[in-house]
Amino acid sequence: MSTGPIACQTRNLSVAYRADPVLRRVHFSVPVGSVMGIIGPNGAGKSTLIKAMLGLVTPLTGTSEFFGQPLDQVRRRIGYMSQSTSVDWDFPTTVIDLVTMGTYGELGWIRRPGKAERARAMASLEQTGIPELASWQIGELSGGQRQRAFLARTLVQAPDLYFMDEPFQGIDAKSQQAMVDVLKDLRAQGKTIVIVHHHLATVRDYCDHVTLLNGSVVASGPADTAFTKENIRTAYKAREGAEAFLETAV
Amino acid sequence: MSFILGTSLLAVVTALACALPGAFVVLRRNSMLVEGIAHAVLPGIVVGYAFTLDLNSPWLIVGAALAGLLVVLCNEWLIRTGLLTGDAPQGLVFPALFAAGIILITLDFNHVHLHTHVVLVGDLNLAAFHQLVVNGVSIGPRYLYVMLAVLIVNVAFIAIFYPKLKVTTFDDQFAMVLGMRTKLLNTAFMFLVSVTVVAAFHAAGALLVISLVVVPAATAHLISQRLSVMLVLTALFAVVGALAGFWIAYVLNAATSAGMAVFYGFMFVAVAFIDKLAIRVRRYRRAEAASAGRPAGNLGIEGLLAKPRYAFAAQRRQEESGRRDGSAPAADTQAAE
Repeated sequence: MSTGPIACQTRNLSVAYRADPVLRRVHFSVPVGSVMGIIGPNGAGKSTLIKAMLGLVTPLTGTSEFFGQPLDQVRRRIGYMSQSTSVDWDFPTTVIDLVTMGTYGELGWIRRPGKAERARAMASLEQTGIPELASWQIGELSGGQRQRAFLARTLVQAPDLYFMDEPFQGIDAKSQQAMVDVLKDLRAQGKTIVIVHHHLATVRDYCDHVTLLNGSVVASGPADTAFTKENIRTAYKAREGAEAFLETAV
Repeated sequence: MSFILGTSLLAVVTALACALPGAFVVLRRNSMLVEGIAHAVLPGIVVGYAFTLDLNSPWLIVGAALAGLLVVLCNEWLIRTGLLTGDAPQGLVFPALFAAGIILITLDFNHVHLHTHVVLVGDLNLAAFHQLVVNGVSIGPRYLYVMLAVLIVNVAFIAIFYPKLKVTTFDDQFAMVLGMRTKLLNTAFMFLVSVTVVAAFHAAGALLVISLVVVPAATAHLISQRLSVMLVLTALFAVVGALAGFWIAYVLNAATSAGMAVFYGFMFVAVAFIDKLAIRVRRYRRAEAASAGRPAGNLGIEGLLAKPRYAFAAQRRQEESGRRDGSAPAADTQAAE
């Protein structure tokens, strides 16, 4: 385990949906400035882990701390990029409006987003490479463009700690490159990123730290020590995709 | 004020009061929950009426609205238990409450006389019967001012909480991570819907109030690219539908709420048809823009009318980045550091 400052730490986290346990006694921490990949097979509880940490799912047991403080004290420093399938893309709003929603956390109960907020939203859209789509209705975006718009909405908050749920899910090569560029940029700025990812072959390209999850934590730490053949095999048991990957890589 | 003018004004105000929160009801996919509320408030209305002998009493409206909120909260609780899926929880709660109301009426509870057709579809003309008289001059139906008050409360609520309503309606979980109290806002909003439904009960009854709440917003949703535009169009469709429906019912000597609901239906079909035609124009324009290498901008009926604000700026930026060998803006900032 690295000894630097810790961006977020989860202790003894257990979650169940009704009678089915999803996460059992999850314990892990993310060093400041790292890119932590949450890796595991389908149904391993990767998204649930992030949601429980951020208070979207009520855990049975356990606590999470961010920069040494409870969530409510540090919300401004945390950005969440949910899966793009989680919303209704027929909603009557434009891309720039969607991105501006990232500034709503600072506005309080009465204030409206103004010119400054829109300018920041526009800058985020440029960062993700889709400024020309600003006035489009969100339903007209492709899968990759939707992910980039979601990323822009998170960027506009300028958080120190990012949680991204499957940001590379179903996107085109161009969007993927744009997202990777932004991730590299964030990393260069010393931001911390927690990323749910399921494509084993690209884990080492994006992540320097890995938490292998399968209901409980199989291994967590720097990629070199955590993302090993034995650990992957344990997490994925005998899944075909993982076996094929293990024969060619690591 | 003449009876016809007063009653048609009442139709317009009732339609507006129901339709504006309806925009969020439609976007939150809660339409059938409103149907549930409209039925579940009946026992509240019967008991309230027995004590106040006045369907327009604020006490009755708030009391019965609490019964409507019961459906919302029971519904949420039943979904959380995981015992029932889909919209089955609603089907479980509201018929029981509605039936309780029916039993109260048939048992002649405290000598309440509510006619079946008033319970089902309301009666706008009967509702407009009691005129408000100030200094000996009639200033329209008393009920008009009740609905006007509800309309003002609804407009104020939407105006004050517009950004919050927008973000919680679109992406509840994102709003929660931002630290918004989404559950509180949702409960407050559904209570307001419940109040509106109870207040409109006299005019539209338990069956047709859902039409007033849902149809103008659903029609506006077909052709709106922005929430603000959708709200304006919702109000427009509500007013047009209310006036047209009122006059149809007047000419045919039929129930006003039924006239409004039928005209709303026609309006939806007409707008859906026009939108289908507009989609063809959109596709043509998009293909044209793509072949000319221009950004297509905002498409749809709204986009056909207005030149998009950001299209020019985006085009300029594209040209600039093209001159710099297509280097991405993100890479520029990195290089600058």
